[in-house]
Amino acid sequence: MPAWTSRSIGTRAQHRIFYFLIRYGGRRCAYLLLSLVALYYVLCRPSIRAKATPYLSRRFRKRSFLRRLTDSYRMFVALGQVLIDRAIIGILREKCIEFSFPEREALLHLVEEGRGIILMTAHVGCWQAAMAALRMMDVPVHLVLRREEGDVDLHYYEHEGTKAPFAIIDPTGPMGGVIEIMQVLKRGEIVCVMGDRRFGSRKGAVAVPFLGDQALFPFSAFKIASATGAPVVVLLSHKSRPARNDLRIYDVIRVKPDAGMSGKELFPSVSRFVSALESYTQDHPYQFFNFFDMWENASQLPDGKKGNAR
Amino acid sequence: MTLNEQLKQLLIEELNLEEITANDITDDMPLFGEGLGLDSLDAVELVVILEKHFGVQVKSLEEGRIAFQSINALTAYVEEKRTK
Repeated sequence: MPAWTSRSIGTRAQHRIFYFLIRYGGRRCAYLLLSLVALYYVLCRPSIRAKATPYLSRRFRKRSFLRRLTDSYRMFVALGQVLIDRAIIGILREKCIEFSFPEREALLHLVEEGRGIILMTAHVGCWQAAMAALRMMDVPVHLVLRREEGDVDLHYYEHEGTKAPFAIIDPTGPMGGVIEIMQVLKRGEIVCVMGDRRFGSRKGAVAVPFLGDQALFPFSAFKIASATGAPVVVLLSHKSRPARNDLRIYDVIRVKPDAGMSGKELFPSVSRFVSALESYTQDHPYQFFNFFDMWENASQLPDGKKGNAR
Repeated sequence: MTLNEQLKQLLIEELNLEEITANDITDDMPLFGEGLGLDSLDAVELVVILEKHFGVQVKSLEEGRIAFQSINALTAYVEEKRTK
């Protein structure tokens, strides 16, 4: 399988066609073209289709080849719609897409504790567009985000031509942005991290059963939670209707300060996040968009449950 | 025990640096990357070590960059902050 990259698979020109359609034809027009593009990728680009296989083969264990094609198609359409929605928010402004976040008050109560919040999300649903919904929070939001060179897929605020409504912390920067994250939390602010993808070496990952097999999940955010006392709020979003996205708090994980900081010691906390994610995939099987093979070599750790020694 | 030695010992114990003794860590050895080989995950624990054992808070990335260069830099940083 080709090495995973976060870079967009479409060219700049292809993206512009969609942006043009959104601007002059609206959402439905863009969705219509999307249905054809998704079909092309499923039928004519097996290398792209293969990126969905690690997840789909575990989420739907017994599938015929045809059903697998259908699953891939549904997943690609769902992903495309999420990306189109993100562009719509930027091009046609937010009001075109409705966000529902009934637990906003609960999140604000957690903010009031003054320890900051680690908002842990994943590559599911409208995770990027959901960032727009965080504008409604009264505290500064910081996003740990790695942007690859050559990525032509625009974030919604880039369409608007405005400044990002959140500060971006680069995880590939000095010391992985750790000091910045800890400072943000000390100020009682919100840091949004992806809990389903690790960067770089396997050192910061722990193997946790996910959809029946051991998969690698990063534990650095839980390590920071242990050091700062900030609660980890698992916030996942899904597209519930054509122009509506729902945000839901799946879990609030409090890591005890004396819990230790190794992968083994943080395994219970990571497992809770993974349980939430698994629950999400049961509810919204085609809205899981992590195309990184998190199961690859996960069982090669000395003991999956032990995770990393350090 | 000098502050240098104390810091080395804390690094070994708190970061579980296996098969490394205080003698293996030279005073000017880079802590991150080549050298001692620490990474961003260890940076969390370094920050905690400074707070827990010395009451010193790393308040910015710039401070962290300077302080976490080597044992010598770390010692100088702790001494400076302690006296403030």
